[in-house]
Amino acid sequence: MTRKQRRLTLIGAAGAVLAGALGLILFALNDQIVFFQSPTDIADNAIAPGQRIRLGGLVEDGSVVRSDNAQVSFRVTDMENAVPVTYKGILPDLFREGQGVVTEGIVGPDGVFVADSVLAKHDENYIPKEVAEALKDKGYWQGEEAGEKTSAN
Amino acid sequence: MVFWILIAVMTAAAALSVLVPLSRTRRSSDASSGAADEAVYRDQLKTIETELKRGLIEPEAAAAARTEIARRLLGAHEKHARESGGIAPGARLRFVQAMALFALPVGAVGLYLVFGAPDLPDAPLAARLDMPAQEQSVDVLVARVERHLAENPEDGQGWVVIAPVYLSLGRPQDSARAYAQAIRLLGPRQDWLTDMGEALTIASQGLVTAEARQAFEQAVEMDASAVKPRFFLALALGQEGRKAEAVKAWRDLLADAEGTEAWVGAARQELAALEAPAGASGAAGETAPPRGPSQEDITASQDMSAGDRQAMIRSMVTGLAERLASDGGTAAEWKQLMQAYIVLGERQSAETALRDARTAYAGSPEDLSSINDAARQLGLPGS
Amino acid sequence: MIVEFGHYALVLAFALSLVQSVVPLWGALAGDDRLMAVAPPVSVMTFVMVLLSFAVLTNAYLSADFSVLNVLENSHSAKPLLYKFTGVWGNHEGSMLLWVLILVFFGALVGFFGGNLPKDLRAATLSVQGWISTGFILFLLATSNPFARVVNPPLEGADLNPILQDIGLAIHPPLLYVGYVGFSITFSFAVAALILGRTDAAWARWVRPWTLLAWCFLTLGIAMGSYWAYYELGWGGWWFWDPVENASLMPWLAGTALLHSAIVMERREALKIWTVLLAIFTFSLSLLGTFLVRSGVLTSVHAFATDPARGVFILVLLCIFIGGSLALYAWRAPALKQGGLFAPISREGALVLNNLFLTSACAAVFVGTLYPLLLDAVTGEKISVGAPFFNLTFGPLMVPLLIAVPFGPVLSWKRGDLLAASQRLYAAFGLALLLTLFTFWLWGMDKVLAPLGVGLAVWVMAGAVAEILTRVKIVEIGPRRAFARLVGLPGSAWGTTLAHFGIGVTVLGVVTASAFQEERIETMRPGDVVELSGYQLTFDGAAPRRGPNFNEEVGHFTVRQGGAIVTRLDPSKRIYTARQMPTTEAAIYTTGFSQLYLSLGESRGDGAVDVRVYFKPLITLIWIGCVIMALGGGISIADRRLRVGAPKPSRKRPAGAPAAAE
Repeated sequence: MTRKQRRLTLIGAAGAVLAGALGLILFALNDQIVFFQSPTDIADNAIAPGQRIRLGGLVEDGSVVRSDNAQVSFRVTDMENAVPVTYKGILPDLFREGQGVVTEGIVGPDGVFVADSVLAKHDENYIPKEVAEALKDKGYWQGEEAGEKTSAN
Repeated sequence: MVFWILIAVMTAAAALSVLVPLSRTRRSSDASSGAADEAVYRDQLKTIETELKRGLIEPEAAAAARTEIARRLLGAHEKHARESGGIAPGARLRFVQAMALFALPVGAVGLYLVFGAPDLPDAPLAARLDMPAQEQSVDVLVARVERHLAENPEDGQGWVVIAPVYLSLGRPQDSARAYAQAIRLLGPRQDWLTDMGEALTIASQGLVTAEARQAFEQAVEMDASAVKPRFFLALALGQEGRKAEAVKAWRDLLADAEGTEAWVGAARQELAALEAPAGASGAAGETAPPRGPSQEDITASQDMSAGDRQAMIRSMVTGLAERLASDGGTAAEWKQLMQAYIVLGERQSAETALRDARTAYAGSPEDLSSINDAARQLGLPGS
Repeated sequence: MIVEFGHYALVLAFALSLVQSVVPLWGALAGDDRLMAVAPPVSVMTFVMVLLSFAVLTNAYLSADFSVLNVLENSHSAKPLLYKFTGVWGNHEGSMLLWVLILVFFGALVGFFGGNLPKDLRAATLSVQGWISTGFILFLLATSNPFARVVNPPLEGADLNPILQDIGLAIHPPLLYVGYVGFSITFSFAVAALILGRTDAAWARWVRPWTLLAWCFLTLGIAMGSYWAYYELGWGGWWFWDPVENASLMPWLAGTALLHSAIVMERREALKIWTVLLAIFTFSLSLLGTFLVRSGVLTSVHAFATDPARGVFILVLLCIFIGGSLALYAWRAPALKQGGLFAPISREGALVLNNLFLTSACAAVFVGTLYPLLLDAVTGEKISVGAPFFNLTFGPLMVPLLIAVPFGPVLSWKRGDLLAASQRLYAAFGLALLLTLFTFWLWGMDKVLAPLGVGLAVWVMAGAVAEILTRVKIVEIGPRRAFARLVGLPGSAWGTTLAHFGIGVTVLGVVTASAFQEERIETMRPGDVVELSGYQLTFDGAAPRRGPNFNEEVGHFTVRQGGAIVTRLDPSKRIYTARQMPTTEAAIYTTGFSQLYLSLGESRGDGAVDVRVYFKPLITLIWIGCVIMALGGGISIADRRLRVGAPKPSRKRPAGAPAAAE
């Protein structure tokens, strides 16, 4: 092999790997990302049943119902609309009524959101950023300072 | 003074780390670029030989590698020969020395004065707790007793001392726990049991819980004539909706009283409330002014012992909170609730009330801002 | 007063860093020995100053000095001593101070042990290191000062986040930081090489031990973090493709690529430009990672709004270091001479392939981590990129790389023979095939990928073993003599073998733990039994317990296998009193390399409690593999050859002595 051929082979191999990687990334970006939606989004533009989404909002007060076999149902609200959610599994430590939550799953044909993961971050002041913004847009959430330090007197 | 001397010592050490290497007169013995390269390539050659001897590489590969490394070695050698380490001309050296001597200390101290707090002494907790008692706040004293108890949890007297203090500081839960410890270690006493029950009652916002009731019952068992536990037991019966029994309990209690005791007013009131026809209170709901504790209630409460008073305020506040939660109310009522919680030392609840109020008035910016103003005055987290 | 000394020491360290940034480099460019000689003592003195301030902060934590704002906000007098100590870096300011401490520590190491380096390279490298420490000490002083004070402090602090009150905090961040920050030295070497215009085989030799050191620690740090998340969060997962994790994975991937390309550069003087670029990239990714995490950008771009000063400062530093070094690279790199030719099928070729896949995988992780941020910033649309994206991109890129791993070390330099190389791997291939078939037979056809994954893992492991055995010619000379040669092999050969073997071990753990895991979620009442993977778990009831700064509800479980009691497990739910924050403490029973994982959910009042039980076959192999990898790296560093290069003849004597004894 001449010097030029060697270089071409190398460049070709590199190109093939990079193109493959790029293709994979683009394909996955198209297919595997999950959109964040608020209960109002769901009410407004009926989401195709079966599409994976992330649903964020506050856990509606008094809506949490636990049944046997670690089955839980509750409602996620953004103060305008609320979506019923069912989940089987162990809820995160900081899951509480009236607190922010992000769930991931699929809206069933009956309008019930079947979640396969529920997140409530490990920080007592935490409201998921997306939730905070969605609520802010609607004027229900005031300020990040709410949880700020009360020390330094 | 000592502080600034030590600061000066640190600064001097820093400046010396720059000045000492600068003051060297001879050329350094550090490796020049070419020499260091040479050493690496020589070592690479040696490695090839070892590998060849062990049979780890083929002879042809070794030969090829050797030529390649030899070429690099030659290059490095030439470079080495060309190099000649120099010593700074005086001006450059003096400039750097001047920087290290003047700019470094001045800059460092200046910057420190901007950021630092040279006058502020350390305040390790242990030292603060060891200061003489009369110079200290209640908090410090409590912390001191707490530390003592953490180390000697079997000291019953310690628990006895701290229990009422907790209650007056608005920490009823801790108070109840302290009484429980005292009772466990020193045996039950009527007054401790009663106070524990009272603390538990206050902790659950005026509700006589099962645990509290047990304490009161045990107290009555030890001394059937004790008034206070019986007062609370009567309250408990009323809360449980056992009306007839409650009425009887209050009557018994009042029958034993001389009529001048502080608690009599409150007891009569409870009795009257129980005997009033059901539904009378609900009908007046619509136009009534904010129904916090009325003036009479508060005056009556002033005659009671501190604990009784708090329990009473608590039960009224609880009532207000429940009503606001279920039926809603005016902004003024919400503000009153928040204030009441702050007075009771219940920040957490006040914050919850604030949150609820905001939710309730989210649609009305005027009320919302007046609620936020009130919250700010109370020192609650602002909006 | 002591606190203020720490503060002043930090300010002094800043001033010294400024000196270090300018004077040695000036000397290197002007060929002035005396100015260059300033670098080592100043870098050591900077380290001493930062160490002093770190010690002072630690003292403030241990003595519960709440007049220091940082202590007040993150400590509590009732906290166990260990967590008072580790709490020093369990918060933003403290962890940044630790970051800087490690940064200047590496500078001091180069100053102290860099005697074998040419003086101009050493001076320039330390100057570049000085730029970084100047930037970050200023960041600390101006926006995240750990020595901010409080007048009339309260008597009790806000306590450390309970999640962090764990032995993991003692180990994980320091390891991870040593890894992250260790790459700063490679970065400094690369920038110095560009400034001085010297990149050659010798340069690669000097850089490699530092890269290895950082890589080992980063490997351990990531593994430790993964295990910590696994047992502390109570979800039973060991990797979540969380942006914070990705932030540490990216420099690891780039660093692994760098490690391999530096070998090519050292041996053949090829891939010079690429290696320098990788060195810059690796540390840039470390920087990016540290600060995405530190500034809270990752949760949302808008987190900048909470502390604009910090966010902007970080952004400016990032732009200066990454942008500046890349600009310098664009300017100087074309001037570098290209060296060493090689055929596509050769050791060099294999290493190029390795680099291609590793950097592509790194790019995939990069896109997946940053695309949501970008999209949010540009269009305001909120998306999440989760495990499916990474499984689909990262997975396929890793498979060909893993297939190729055993070939690399058996190919010869310059021009290799694929057929001859394959012959040395027949046994490994056979073993892998056998185990794949065995797994199929064991589990049936319903899980097709899992047996193939097992086969791949075995292939990598057996390939590593086969390589070192053929290296000592075990077939030709018999096991006895081969063993003697095995012992005499240089550390770097052992290092390669171990690191590659470790990769296989980790892959095996990943495959079996994900494919063959069994999971049960039940609501249990006292006396209930759950059956899982041949174990019977009986719930004996729950009871409260009081810890030093928490209260917990402990569930008691008895684990039986075929009637005989195997162990008792006590998972719990804790409430940390100071912050009223609940945490879940999982209980884990390790049997062989597998684990039984038990965590508690909500209790239901009537004595019933939600319980989640997993059986995770061979899961510990994931972390054991990482430890083996790091061990391999460690043995490589210990290889005498990496440290040689000292120009003084007197030093060569003792270094050569062990070679003669072999």
